[in-house]
Amino acid sequence: MRIDREAQWHILLGGALLLSLLPIAFAIANSFKELSEAYNNVFSLIPEHPTIGNYLLVFSRLPLGQITANTFMVALAATVFKTVTSALAAYAFVYFDFRGKNVLYFILISTIFIPFTVTMIPNYLTISQLGFRNNIIGVILPQLSDATGIFLIRQAMRTIPRSLIEAARIEQAGHLKILASIVLPLIRPAVVSTGIMFFINSWNEYVWPVLILKDKVNYTLPLALQLFISSEGGTDFTIAMAVSVITMIIPLVLYLIFQRYIISTFTSSGVKG
Amino acid sequence: MKEIVFENVSKAYGKTTVIEHLNLTIRPGERLILLGASGCGKSTTLRMIAGLEQITAGNLYMNGQRINDLASGERNVSMVFQNYALYPHMTVADNIVYGLKIQKLPKEEIGQRLQAAVDMLELNGLEGRKPRDLSGGQRQRVALARAVVKRSDVLLLDEPLSNLDAQLRVHARKELVKIHQTYRQTFVYVTHDQVEAMTVGNRIALLHEGQLQMLDTPANVYNRPANVFTARFIGSPSTNILAAHYADRALHIGRQAVRLPEFWSAFLGQKGCRDFYLGIRPEHIRLERDRTDNVFSGTVKYIEEYGNRCGIYLDIEDNELVAIGDKADAWPGKRVSFAIDAAKLHVFDKQTKENIGYPEVYNEPVYQYKSL
Repeated sequence: MRIDREAQWHILLGGALLLSLLPIAFAIANSFKELSEAYNNVFSLIPEHPTIGNYLLVFSRLPLGQITANTFMVALAATVFKTVTSALAAYAFVYFDFRGKNVLYFILISTIFIPFTVTMIPNYLTISQLGFRNNIIGVILPQLSDATGIFLIRQAMRTIPRSLIEAARIEQAGHLKILASIVLPLIRPAVVSTGIMFFINSWNEYVWPVLILKDKVNYTLPLALQLFISSEGGTDFTIAMAVSVITMIIPLVLYLIFQRYIISTFTSSGVKG
Repeated sequence: MKEIVFENVSKAYGKTTVIEHLNLTIRPGERLILLGASGCGKSTTLRMIAGLEQITAGNLYMNGQRINDLASGERNVSMVFQNYALYPHMTVADNIVYGLKIQKLPKEEIGQRLQAAVDMLELNGLEGRKPRDLSGGQRQRVALARAVVKRSDVLLLDEPLSNLDAQLRVHARKELVKIHQTYRQTFVYVTHDQVEAMTVGNRIALLHEGQLQMLDTPANVYNRPANVFTARFIGSPSTNILAAHYADRALHIGRQAVRLPEFWSAFLGQKGCRDFYLGIRPEHIRLERDRTDNVFSGTVKYIEEYGNRCGIYLDIEDNELVAIGDKADAWPGKRVSFAIDAAKLHVFDKQTKENIGYPEVYNEPVYQYKSL
């Protein structure tokens, strides 16, 4: 029976949803508990004696406002820059014909397979020479180039019927106009999800900032989080949860805002009858 | 109004040649049909005019100016694509005025042109819809509206009706002619449908494997095919082409022969034409019930029903021949006699497959270039 089938799916999906929300609820709940309560009853999702003491404590120990702002700046700069350049490069790879196009594309894509650890030391030396150590510019710079976005956006652009672009060319639309008024609106879901991926990757970046940043004022959130869960940082579990919540709250909110753009708008196009 | 001239134009993709030495002049304000089977190069020809395909060799002129390297947007042409190419994220109105906004026309002007196009193509009330909410016929009209608001000198149409069902197509055909009569642009119209070609065109350019076979009015293309290919391509069922022989004032097909009228024997004798391909349309073959003199005879192989009449496939001396006739006169296996209309014969050279011409008395109607 159809309805039973549907119900089964709903139950399954509902279960999956609960399972993925549980860690978030767990972190939020424990961040509002006192340490003793957390040790006694770690799985309860509603604190018996809710307290914001954990939050007050981390804010008093660290310039968390500044740290959050740093993280945001880094992630935003990397996301905007990479999304824009990826879209431009993808457009060129899809709609321009030039000598060596396929070779160049192949070279770019193969850079995706170079592990971070290989470029880590050369990058560190470069950034040091440039004098950007202990500076968020030094964190941002190596994050500005990435072929993943070119690949993802190019794949999406290739689904656009060529005649749409040709129709615009006949109307004397320039390439930037075509990109902005036709191509980007049609592949918006792909562009937004690429952007979200860039943002979250950059937001969670740990190893690189830890190499570059020395002063706590310049820290990003993953470094702050590490301060509270490492052996030196102590084992106050509820405080670690409070920092975790602060760390994930902004990407979560941004995701909620942008998720509606991910839902595909490219259903039935104006093409063909 | 612009004249478009192809001068020895060739187009190749790598080693594949699509168009070979095309020479073609499109007159200002005419409706020229590029007709041919798929892969014959007709769309490529159209796209070269639009500037969407690079020209490999030769020259393309528009109004005397060489435009080989002129960008699409600079050519002042508009185009209706086979798949309509409507922008799915824009409303009907936005689709129609997209180009006008790029040209930065004044707002009132854009509004007026939009309204005129919407009225003409009966799109009233649909302006705010997205293409996905339109029927096939409506999308086709939006694509047309987008092409006409530009008021360009040349309107290029790439199989604009091929995605419509048969009834809509007849209606849309008339609409296209109406649009042409309103704006008097040069129409270049690509189709593989000969009925569309005959009904819409002032002139037809028939292409085959990248080569121009014939360029003339629909009536001449039908009645005076320049070569075997044209004779076969135009008309359905297609023209019968048979190897034939002329001797002693008679037309021989295999061992059978019929006397030819004086004007034919004089003409063929004068041309010294003995072996040739004979072309005769199915509707110019008449089954004879009683007559036995001066007729051919053959065996009925197969009957095709068209509703108002039938296609009767005959075997004559191991040649297949199709005639239009009455089902009552024929059934498979029957031996029938048939006469061919001597005033409707076509004779093609055996080697070149070109039409050798017609006797002078033959020129009954004189087909003039249709006035616009």
